[in-house]
Amino acid sequence: MMLNLGPQHPSTHGVFRLVLWLDGERIVRAEPHIGYLHRGSEKLCEREDYTQIITLFDRLDYVANLNGELAFCMAAEKLMGLEVPDRAWYVRSILCELNRIASHMLFYGVYGLDTGAMTPILYGFRERERIVLLFEAVTGARMMHNFIRVGGVKQDLPEDFVQRVNKLTDELKRGIEECDQLLTNSELFLARTKGVGSIDGPTARDYGCTGPVLRASGVKEDVRVSEPYGIYDRFEFGIPVGSNGDCWDRYYIRVEEMRQSLSIIEQAVKQMEPGPIQAKVRRIARPPKGEAYVRTESPRGDFAVFLVSDGGDKPYRVKVRAPSFANLQSITHMLRDAYIADAVVILGSIDIILGEVDR
Amino acid sequence: MTALEGLFYGLGAAGLLVFLSGTVMVLTWLERKALARIQLRMGPMRVGPHGTLQPIADVAKLMTKEDITPSWADKRVFWLAPAALLMPALLVWVTIPMARDLVLRNLDMGLFYVIAVSVLSVMGLVMAGWGSANKYAMLGGLRAVGALISYEIPFILAVLGVAMLSQSMDITRIVDDQRSIAYIIVQPLGLFLFLVAGLAELGRTPFDIHHAESEVVGGPFVEYSGAHWAAFMLAEYINTFTVAALVVLLFVGGWRWPAMPGDGALHTLLSLIWFLTKTYFVILAIFWIRGTFPRLRIDQLMAFAWKVLVPLAFVNILLTGLVLYYDLGWWVLTILSLLSLAAAFYIIFGRYGSRAERMTVRVYSTRELGLKPAVRPQAAPPPDGSPVQVDKAPAAGA
Amino acid sequence: MLGNLKGLLLTLKVMRREPVTAQYPDPSKRLPIDKRFMGFPALLWDNSNDEPFCTGCMVCVRACPTQCMSAEMKDNPKFADGTSRRRKIIEKFEINLSRCILCGICVDVCNFDAIEMSHEHELSKFERNGARAALPQLLAMGKKYQAETTWQPKQPEKNLGKPPEKPATAPQPEKVGGVVTS
Repeated sequence: MMLNLGPQHPSTHGVFRLVLWLDGERIVRAEPHIGYLHRGSEKLCEREDYTQIITLFDRLDYVANLNGELAFCMAAEKLMGLEVPDRAWYVRSILCELNRIASHMLFYGVYGLDTGAMTPILYGFRERERIVLLFEAVTGARMMHNFIRVGGVKQDLPEDFVQRVNKLTDELKRGIEECDQLLTNSELFLARTKGVGSIDGPTARDYGCTGPVLRASGVKEDVRVSEPYGIYDRFEFGIPVGSNGDCWDRYYIRVEEMRQSLSIIEQAVKQMEPGPIQAKVRRIARPPKGEAYVRTESPRGDFAVFLVSDGGDKPYRVKVRAPSFANLQSITHMLRDAYIADAVVILGSIDIILGEVDR
Repeated sequence: MTALEGLFYGLGAAGLLVFLSGTVMVLTWLERKALARIQLRMGPMRVGPHGTLQPIADVAKLMTKEDITPSWADKRVFWLAPAALLMPALLVWVTIPMARDLVLRNLDMGLFYVIAVSVLSVMGLVMAGWGSANKYAMLGGLRAVGALISYEIPFILAVLGVAMLSQSMDITRIVDDQRSIAYIIVQPLGLFLFLVAGLAELGRTPFDIHHAESEVVGGPFVEYSGAHWAAFMLAEYINTFTVAALVVLLFVGGWRWPAMPGDGALHTLLSLIWFLTKTYFVILAIFWIRGTFPRLRIDQLMAFAWKVLVPLAFVNILLTGLVLYYDLGWWVLTILSLLSLAAAFYIIFGRYGSRAERMTVRVYSTRELGLKPAVRPQAAPPPDGSPVQVDKAPAAGA
Repeated sequence: MLGNLKGLLLTLKVMRREPVTAQYPDPSKRLPIDKRFMGFPALLWDNSNDEPFCTGCMVCVRACPTQCMSAEMKDNPKFADGTSRRRKIIEKFEINLSRCILCGICVDVCNFDAIEMSHEHELSKFERNGARAALPQLLAMGKKYQAETTWQPKQPEKNLGKPPEKPATAPQPEKVGGVVTS
C-alpha cells in the first residue's frame, strides 16, 4: 500500500512529502520529496547587496536565524580579511548560543508532539518566549533579527543586558530541568524512541549528516571544536556525543546542548568587555574578487556558506550548505524496518527545517 | 409490560439521554480547561464566563456545519458508523446505577451486560474506517480494532476479580458490599488493570494511536464533519464517563463509602452528588494522564495488553481466589496485590536498565577533544589586487 | 514507572501556576513593547520647522530588500522662502506594509533621520489593498511614534530643517560619507 505522508500533514515539520510503501504497518520503501518551500534564495542573493542578503539568510533556517546570518557575514569577512572586534564576537556568540537554546526548545516541544505528548510543546514555547523577548530588547525583532552585519553587529547591547541575561540563564536552567523531567526518562517516551531509527557512525558520515544526528552515532564532530571560529576557543564547554544513533540519543544530545550553551553564555557574559562593535567597513560591503567557504555550527549541524564575489556590491554566487538537507537524506536509511508511527518519530528526531532544505 | 411501566422506562430513557448529553457538554469544557491549566494557558474564556457556554457554541457549530460525504465512500456504511458507535455507548447506561434507586433497570447480571454491550462499539470504528475511502482512515480503523479487542481481555478479567470479591454480578450488590472497605484498597492491582484497560478501550492517551493527531490525523474519524462528528464526540465522551463511573462503582465504593445520611429523596440526591464527585475526580485523573504522556505505538500497545496485562489479570484472579478460598483477611489481598504490582513494574519497566544504563549520551569537554585556536580572518588583502585566494592559505593558525 | 510518575507530578505541580497566556485585546496584559522594537516604518515630523524630515532622496527605496516603497520628491516651497534648509521635500510616499519585512534597513541607510521603525505591528484592514500606506498615514504613524517615545534625531545639527539665524543662502547639509554608524 502506498501512503502519502503528504505535504500537508501535522507532523512533517513543514511542507515535506514522504511517500511510503507499506506492508501492513511496516515500511518497505520510503521516498522523500522536497522542494515545496523553494523560494529561490540563492538566486535572489545575486541581485541583492550584502546588507539585504542578511534578511534572506534570516529566513533560511527560520528558527536559528542568527546562526545563518553569522555564517554569511563570516564568509564576507573572510573574503575581505576583516578583523571583527572582540566585543562584536562576544555579542555574536551570546546571541547565537541563545538562538541555539531557542531552536532546541522548539525541537523539544515539537518532538513531544510527534510522540503524542501534548504538553511539552507549551513548556518549550514558554521557555522560548523568554529568549525571544530578550532578542526583542537587543535586536528589535523577535525572530527575523537582521542584526549581525558584515564586520560586527548592528547595535550595541542595551544597558540592562547583563542582568537580564543572568536572570534568563537561571530561568532557563529551571526550564530545561522541567522539560527533562517530563519527557526524557518517561518510560513511554523511552519505548517510543530507544532503538528506533538507528544509524551508525560510518553510514551517517557517508550520508553527510552533521550536528546532533552525527554525534548521536558516536562521531565526535563539532565545527566549534574541529575548526573553531570567532572566539569559541576561549570557552570551555562540552560536546554531548551519543552511542546508539537512535532517536533518544538525538533527542537527548539536544537537551544536553542546551545546558552547554547556557554555560557558554555565562562564560561570555563574564569575559565580555566594552569596546567597538563593528569594524570599519563601508555601509555596503564590497569584498574583493575571490571565493570563500565558511562552516559554522548551527543547531542543526554544519551550516556552511560558499561565497563567490566579483568585486561588486552584490555577490556573484552564494551557495548555502544546509545541514537539514544532508541530514534528511539519511531518513531512507533510518526508515528501513520501521513502522509508520516510527516514521514520524524518526523524522522529528532529525530536526529538519524546510526553509533551509529547500532554500 | 404495562403502559405505565412503558411510560416510566420511556421517561427514564429520555432523562438519561438529557443527563448524558449535559454530562458530555460539561466534560468537553472540563477537558479543555484541565488541559489548559496543565499547559500553562487558560482554555476557553470568551463564550460565557470562563467559557462555560463553549460547549453550547460547539454543539451549535457542529449541527450547522456541512456534513460532507466523500464521493468514493461506501455511503451506507459511512453514514451508519457514528450510529453504530453511539448505540452501545448509550445502551450501556440502561443498567448503570448512579444511586441506589437511580437506575433504569437493574439487572442481576449487570456487569456481564455492560461488558458485552461495550464491545459492540468496535464495529462502529471499523465501519468508519472502511467507509471513509481513505487510507489513513483504514489504517486507523484497523489499528483501533486490534487495540480494542486486545484490551477487552484484561478489562473483562479485572471485572471478574471484582465479581469474585462480592460473589455477584449485580452492580448494586457490589456497591453495597463496599460499605466498609472499598475495593480500591483490597485490590489495587485490579484497579490498575481496569483503569489501564479502560483508557485503552476509550482510545485515550497513552493509547490513542488509532486517532493520533500527529500521524493518521484522526484515524477513522478523519473524513467526518458536522453532525456525524458530533456523534463521534458524543460517543467518546459518554464512554469516558462510563468508564469513570464503572471505576467508581466497582472500586471506589459507588455512592457509599461512606454512605450518605438521610433517607428517601434526600438520601438519593446526596448519594448522586457523592457519586458524581468521585466520578469527576476519576475523570480529572484521566485528563491529567492525557496531558502528560506520549502515546504508545500499536505493536507496543498490543504487546502491553497481551504480555503484561493478561498475565497480571490472571495473577489478580489467582490471588483473589486464594484469599477467598482460604478465608484470609482482606489486607492479605492488598499486600499481595501491591507486591505483584511492584514486581510487574520492576520487570517491565526495568528492561530499559538503570538510569545509568539508559544514559547513552556522554559529554566530552572541549579540553578532552583538543580545541585548536580559532581561525580568524587575516588582516589586509594582498595590495597587488590579485584575487584573494583565502582558501588556499594554510589552515593552521592563520 | 518512576519516570512516568515524575512526569505526572510535574504536570500536577504546573497546574497550580498562573497561566502565562492572556486574551488578546486585554489591555492590562499586553506585553510591553521594547524601545528597540521594529514595527512598520513611519516617516518622522520635524517639529522645529513643521515639515517632514524626508526629502525624497530614495536611498531607502533602493535599499529595501522587498522593494515595497515608492517615493516622489518636489522642490520645497519653504526653501524658496528661506524658512528651511531642505531644498527638496517629500511629495508622495507609499509603503506596501504587507510587503515590508520589518528588517530596518531603510532606517539604517537614511541620511536625514527621516524614517524610523515605529511600534505599530498590528495590521488588519478591511480592504484588499488596505495595507498600502500613503504619506498622510505614514506621517500620522510617525507623529504617534514621536509622541510615545523620546525620539530625537541622531544628527540634529545636520538634519533639523530650521535655518540658522543669518538669513543668507541656506548651506547644504554636509554629506557625511557612507560610513556605517554604530
